[in-house]
Amino acid sequence: MSTSPRSRTGSGARVAVVIAVVVIAAVVAVLAASGITPQRLWDSFFPIGAGTPATDRAHATRSLYDIVFGIGAVIFVLVEAMIVFTVLRYRRKPGDDGLPPQIHGNNLVEVIWTAIPTAIVLFLFVISWQTLSKVEAKGPDAVHVRAVASRYQWQFDYLDAQGNLTFSQNLPIGDGGGLVLPVGEPVLVSLRSMDVNHAFYVPKFLFKRDAIPGRENSFEFTVDEPGTYRGQCAELCGTFHGSMVFEVHALPVAEFDAWYKTQVEKANATPTPPPSGAAAGPTLELGAMNVAFSTASLQAPAGSAFTIHFKNDDAAVPHNVEIKDSTGATVFKGDIITGPAEASYGVKALPAGAYTFHCTVHPNMTGTLTVQ
Amino acid sequence: MATTTLNPAAPAYRSSLYEWLTTTDHKKIGIMYLINSILFFIAGGILALVVRVELSQPGLQIVNEAFYNQAFTMHASFMLFLFVIPILAGFGNYVVPLHLGAPDMAFPRINALSFWLLPLGGALMASGFLATGGAAASGWTEYPPLSGSKFSGAGTDLWIMGLTLIGTSSILGAINFLVTIFKMRAPGMTLFRMPILVWTVLVTSVLILMATPVLTSALIMLFIDRNYGGHFFDPANGGNAVLYQNVFWFYSHPAVYIMILPAMGIISEILPVFSRKPLFGYKAFVFATVAIGALGFSVWAHHMFTTGAVFLPFFSLMTFLIAVPTGVKMFNWIATLWRGQLTFKTPLLYATGFLTMFLIGGINGAFSAAVPVDFAIHDTYWVVAHIHYVLFGGSVFAVFGGIYYWFPKMTGRMLDETLGKVQFVLMFIGFNMTFFPMHQLGLMGMPRRIADYAASAGWSELNLVATIGGFVIAASMLPFLWNVLVSLRSGEIAGDDPWEGNTLEWATSSPPPPYNFDSLPEIRSERPVFDARHGQPAGHTDQTGH
Repeated sequence: MSTSPRSRTGSGARVAVVIAVVVIAAVVAVLAASGITPQRLWDSFFPIGAGTPATDRAHATRSLYDIVFGIGAVIFVLVEAMIVFTVLRYRRKPGDDGLPPQIHGNNLVEVIWTAIPTAIVLFLFVISWQTLSKVEAKGPDAVHVRAVASRYQWQFDYLDAQGNLTFSQNLPIGDGGGLVLPVGEPVLVSLRSMDVNHAFYVPKFLFKRDAIPGRENSFEFTVDEPGTYRGQCAELCGTFHGSMVFEVHALPVAEFDAWYKTQVEKANATPTPPPSGAAAGPTLELGAMNVAFSTASLQAPAGSAFTIHFKNDDAAVPHNVEIKDSTGATVFKGDIITGPAEASYGVKALPAGAYTFHCTVHPNMTGTLTVQ
Repeated sequence: MATTTLNPAAPAYRSSLYEWLTTTDHKKIGIMYLINSILFFIAGGILALVVRVELSQPGLQIVNEAFYNQAFTMHASFMLFLFVIPILAGFGNYVVPLHLGAPDMAFPRINALSFWLLPLGGALMASGFLATGGAAASGWTEYPPLSGSKFSGAGTDLWIMGLTLIGTSSILGAINFLVTIFKMRAPGMTLFRMPILVWTVLVTSVLILMATPVLTSALIMLFIDRNYGGHFFDPANGGNAVLYQNVFWFYSHPAVYIMILPAMGIISEILPVFSRKPLFGYKAFVFATVAIGALGFSVWAHHMFTTGAVFLPFFSLMTFLIAVPTGVKMFNWIATLWRGQLTFKTPLLYATGFLTMFLIGGINGAFSAAVPVDFAIHDTYWVVAHIHYVLFGGSVFAVFGGIYYWFPKMTGRMLDETLGKVQFVLMFIGFNMTFFPMHQLGLMGMPRRIADYAASAGWSELNLVATIGGFVIAASMLPFLWNVLVSLRSGEIAGDDPWEGNTLEWATSSPPPPYNFDSLPEIRSERPVFDARHGQPAGHTDQTGH
């Protein structure tokens, strides 16, 4: 073997090393500047940043994830170490003129490195099958909700034991909206799509399921802790796919029961007759179609009441009109109507100024209202 | 009148335009495949930068949602159908006849047709940007009903037509490769003496032949639904929206192996040459390749676990099992390097880069095979990270390794090593900066294919890191393009065999003559040029050949 000193680092290698050092230093500086600590870095390798999963099924999934991650990490470190060691140890040195040993293979090691991975993946298959049976388990349910997906909003229908509609929750987010559920009681969610493929996805539930037209998927879970959980459509459904969000509001059972009772009463109450448009000053025409308003600007007289005649032409899609002043405070909020339908909204007198109007269900539907 | 002196060392790129446009020479066609693919790689890369800039911070910065959807759809369509698959077919075109000691492909004119369908299909697909409503925007998967006539414009029809032509090109190319491999081998070149690259092209061609017609059927059904009132995928009229996903993935999962197997073949050519050892476990490697091809047909529905419409345990088991032959390959590659004499020329750098990153792409795939974990990470950025570790960290690094490895053969001149190393380092760092954080983004719940996200979601920092990484990747292309342009004119003269290669392409001139070989060395093993250089394999005295 040659013992001559290694002076094989050419200019190319030197340049490469310099670039590597500069870029790595920049990356470390960026990470440090944005406050990424080693703990946060480690947590980021786990679902929802090592946060606590929110349902009974999600805990099972998280345990499975930890096992897969552990095995994957060990394999990664071992194999990567082998590659790095080989690359560093077996570089051709000056004087390496003779050929290295010409090894064509070895049946024993081939059998070993076929058998061990086979055993590992069979083990992973068995435990993931076991976890799957927990995640897919069915049982008696306290609440049955049908989540209805359409471009680009969610509606939650609460069903009774016979599967008949009790009431609908039209607003997917915010106070008085969202999918309201009891904590600690099993919930059945079935999915329906009115148009294209969507997916019901709540990151903290570690779960998603597609809503596909012509097919009703369902799944069950029990929420652990009260709280608000962000959810969002996870299957591309068109232009505004990214704004198809919803929230899950998990309430303690007593609060949920009270909320549920109020909703049932509201649904059973005789609907109040819509206010007469003629008595309330001038009428503004506004339409909604394809999740967009018919106009982006409206004018109204200052200091006198007026009426917005709102026509929702989107079949099965709820819309309304909400008016906000320049500070963002809501000055008027019309009832949500599910198209095709019409409503006459009586708006009280507003001081002169610039306002915005939008649909509460679809924040991307907006326009300006000039009062003068 | 000035007299023109042709440089005899580099006639391949100085031939007249007419000759290139009408050629049936597999080498020229192969080079045209490479150039066409690199152009679409650049176009797809620019679209990727649009996506990355848009996601670099919350809010809409440079494009609206409608164009954003077109950008990621066409990015993936260009990269998969017009870059990765054709550039590997391009290497196959250039190298396979040389590897076999053949004068050309079996059907040279069909070979030219397969190539010319590609720019045509690509132009059709890209012309969607000029259509009303823009290019296809339902993702490269184009799931109905979203891709139906009710929700998507003419860009989708152009996408379908373009992809059908590209698919036809693939099928013709696969037939050509199969006939070439089975009928055109030089005397002595038995199946088990073929270079591994040829084996991977063989298995890939079988996959293409069995899977691509199924994709074409899906595309034609979608076209009928869109334009002639068909109801294949329309549930309101007795159709089934999930049917499309089954048919589409029956092609598109094997397509992942179409996109990685020849890349593995390239790696398996580079590693033995630069470690001066034979590939460890040649036959095991061949069987692993065949096993991946066979298992590849039984895992398509792992893209559909969350549809609630597939039999989960079967597809989960098959998906796990496909890790075994892949692992065998990884160990064989490392064993090839083991106790070798490694020379870190640029091709070997790319090959080791392939090993380190394809390893990650293999391991993070196992997470999706575990069905409940897939329920959590499906359609999130985790999947985006996985696919890029396989197809960028894997295939693209192999492609650049292959370019540095065979450029001297194709042009007669070497690429510059310093620029090559600069490119490798930039690309390696940029790649990991862009795609590694996507694992974390996916785990935090960021879905794919969204144009915007809330500032409160906590995804801003990692998205910014990924965007910076994207620009580092883009920067790495500059030394590459410069290197190619400069080296074509003034690169070091390569000679016939600059790397001390093993396989037959190194036994002819650089670039080879139109008929490839004046004479062939004896083919007694899978390394005929190595044998000729170092003497015959021990114990060989048999002279009863042809």
